[in-house]
Amino acid sequence: MNLDKMMDLPGAMAAFTYSDRGDLQSQVLREGTELTPQVLDLLAHSCVANLAIASMEARGWEAVTGQGGFQPLKGFSVVGLEWSVVVNGNCGVVVKNRDADYEATFNALQAA
Amino acid sequence: MNIVKQLMAIPGVIAAGEYAFRGDRYSYEGALTDEFARMASILCRANTLSVNMQSEIFDSFAENCGCRPVQGWIARGNQITICAVGNYFAFIENRDELLNDVMTIMRAKVGDIRDDLLANLYAKLGGDTKEALY
Amino acid sequence: MSLRKILVLDGVTAVCRFRDDGVVMEAEGMLPADLLERLAKFAQWYRRMVSGNTDILSLFSQMRGWSPSQGWIVKGVAMTVCSVGNTVCLVDNSQGSLNQIMRALGEAAHE
Repeated sequence: MNLDKMMDLPGAMAAFTYSDRGDLQSQVLREGTELTPQVLDLLAHSCVANLAIASMEARGWEAVTGQGGFQPLKGFSVVGLEWSVVVNGNCGVVVKNRDADYEATFNALQAA
Repeated sequence: MNIVKQLMAIPGVIAAGEYAFRGDRYSYEGALTDEFARMASILCRANTLSVNMQSEIFDSFAENCGCRPVQGWIARGNQITICAVGNYFAFIENRDELLNDVMTIMRAKVGDIRDDLLANLYAKLGGDTKEALY
Repeated sequence: MSLRKILVLDGVTAVCRFRDDGVVMEAEGMLPADLLERLAKFAQWYRRMVSGNTDILSLFSQMRGWSPSQGWIVKGVAMTVCSVGNTVCLVDNSQGSLNQIMRALGEAAHE
């Protein structure tokens, strides 16, 4: 996982990896950011939860409605006031909203 | 132009609508049945409440870190993506540039969500935020 | 059941009743005011979150019996936080019975 390459994404403030349980494993932080490894660790845990819930919802939706196209999940993002966190699998990126390119970020997380 | 109508005018937007914080109040346009739209509104509500809770927790550990108040969330599926901003949601195809366009429009049209999630959600579709859940 | 009666149960170190916006209505136990406020807010968010989860589970499983949700328990290594309705309490795992405490919380919540 090339976190330095993730930092080239528009608006990237931090890139991080985490275990399946959400424990922070590695991180790269943009200089001057208020984000800290502790905050990233909290973020990673919540992102694991969000991915699990969204996967459950995708599975249940396809089963109940018969509609396809949701599984397998390709990521999740929480959009804050000024920044968003975009995650997939065991990797995440925090981006500043005004520069954010959600598609490029989701695509980069697939390739990783 | 009404946000939902504006979204539905974009090729690749499968469905769009509004959902309420509690109860079955919702409205939608697009390729959903009434029942599916009701289910979608329940899912959107649950996820929105969940990410709001998470941002409150973050805020208590890192004040003014830029995540509160939460504006929305995105679930990227294999071929379909769901995005929610405020109490609006959209189901969209995963075609190039569409997600960015939809998010730009939704953020611009919905405006910044203020801190009081309940009051904000109720203001759109009516209801009493002081009404007890029990 | 008043909160005092819950506080005297073995293992309970603090108990509080909270409003829909997370504000403390009444509380018993040796917890500082600011921690009590945080506990109440946390409990209210958790209640909403669990309620959302049970709604979704009901939806997808088509089973009765999940919704409406009644409460939740978070079991830590030495302490447990548990809630029924709009009451929440802190429990020392080394003492008391979670079953008894949850029953008591249930009675208090529906008053």
